[in-house]
Amino acid sequence: MLLLLVGSCTNKSSTGQPKKVAVIVSTLNNPWFVVLAETAAAQAKALGYKTKIFDSQNNTALESDHFENAIVSGFNAILLNPTDSDGSIVNAMKAKEAGIPVFCMDREVNSPQAATCQILSDNYSGCVAIGKYFVQTLRTKAKDTPINYVEILGLVGDNNTWNRSKGFHSVVDQYPNFKMVAQQSADFDRNKAMEVLESILQAHPDVNAVFCGNDAMAMGAYQALVAAGKANDVGVFGFDGADDVMNSIRDGKIKATGLQSPQTMAKTAAEYADEYFKGKRDFAKKIPVAVELVDQANIKDYSTPKKL
Amino acid sequence: MQKNSLKYAVLLVLLGVVAYNSVYFKKLDEVKANAGSNTDQKFDAAAYAQTFWTSKLLPASASSATDLSALLSSLKTDKTKAFDNSHALGIGNIRYFLVKGEGKITAIGDNDVTVSLLTGETVNLATEYIFGNAARDASGLIKITEFDNTTDLNNVSAELNNIIRKKVLPPFKASAKTGSTVKFVGAIELNKEHLHLENLEVIPISIEVH
Repeated sequence: MLLLLVGSCTNKSSTGQPKKVAVIVSTLNNPWFVVLAETAAAQAKALGYKTKIFDSQNNTALESDHFENAIVSGFNAILLNPTDSDGSIVNAMKAKEAGIPVFCMDREVNSPQAATCQILSDNYSGCVAIGKYFVQTLRTKAKDTPINYVEILGLVGDNNTWNRSKGFHSVVDQYPNFKMVAQQSADFDRNKAMEVLESILQAHPDVNAVFCGNDAMAMGAYQALVAAGKANDVGVFGFDGADDVMNSIRDGKIKATGLQSPQTMAKTAAEYADEYFKGKRDFAKKIPVAVELVDQANIKDYSTPKKL
Repeated sequence: MQKNSLKYAVLLVLLGVVAYNSVYFKKLDEVKANAGSNTDQKFDAAAYAQTFWTSKLLPASASSATDLSALLSSLKTDKTKAFDNSHALGIGNIRYFLVKGEGKITAIGDNDVTVSLLTGETVNLATEYIFGNAARDASGLIKITEFDNTTDLNNVSAELNNIIRKKVLPPFKASAKTGSTVKFVGAIELNKEHLHLENLEVIPISIEVH
């Protein structure tokens, strides 16, 4: 028993081989998740573990196969970016039953029992910061006169969508002169956001600002405003910290965004797996990762475009 | 004929009932309220915040707040060491400090009160935009492991900010005058990687005006 305990506290498995860490990622078709997966794998490797990246191709069934594979092949920990916050629960539970810890990165599973720890962007607080900046900038233009704004939401079924929206409204709703004239989903998609805003502008030509649940939609919204000849009058606010939006902020086109850090999430997940192997068990169920407000005033701090 | 129209009327009513019951309009707000797993209604964030405020944050403000002038100079000389005094429930660049200071009010604006510290630096005590996690995180007395649910954590911040808005700001705004001396304890947010010490905003926790 003592030998077993000693054995479990090293980065070598019982057979003397290095322990193995699987990185199961929702998709490698999106640069954001490529960074997430590669950083997680690189960090685990740097810590002395063998690693392998599995691409679930946004398919929960394929993710399930990867889990079975990882369990059978003797992986000792799984760093997971789930395909579906509900659908992935059963997969994570399978690993848990096999005694393999699961650390979620960037996306959550809707069950505190399924994962050892979930490392997630603090979407809510990031959007509190955006909401504050939104009110500050629009109020200075016109003190207490009515401000009309549009909110473009991401996928309605996604937790991130609502955490962002709730954070934003926790600030903006305190100011009664800020009126949301339309709230519509564009599924985190650039083209859809453009179409959605185009039709909203028909009904509400007097919009002062647009808050978007991600940067792709912010780019789409900006395009719609350019087409309508309103790009200089209507402020667009995004979320993610994508390169094109960071550059647009630099050019004064988009007002602000919330910069997420996939690298921090991925590295932390790998480090937590390492700590788990060394005996730590009291992980917080969810760890928020700070989202930084990037606006017209501090964009110069972020001069190097983030590599994605 | 009459029979027929009665039949049609009944059919029409039936059809109406079926149609009415087949389509539901749901406000996005309701979907939002039910989204995800974060719907634990048992946690009373207002009560938690009130207890934390009186039994932990105010005592910590009196005993363990860092002197703001000293902090500002150590941030300039040894940033890494200075950040050892910071706290945050999450990970990343954003960190919070519980600070105390004393100085003279030099300006009263719509959104803040400008104070010139005894050592000469200028800081702004926020009186309008009381948002974010500074009051929750600065003392380091709330542990992330106490919470399974991030919604609860977010609500604690919002409730602490409400206490500040209701209890701390009104007497301060009423008594603050340019030229008067203030002693304050507050929370500040700083970005470890992109540090800016100008226009420093302090979220007030306790203030005495003389």
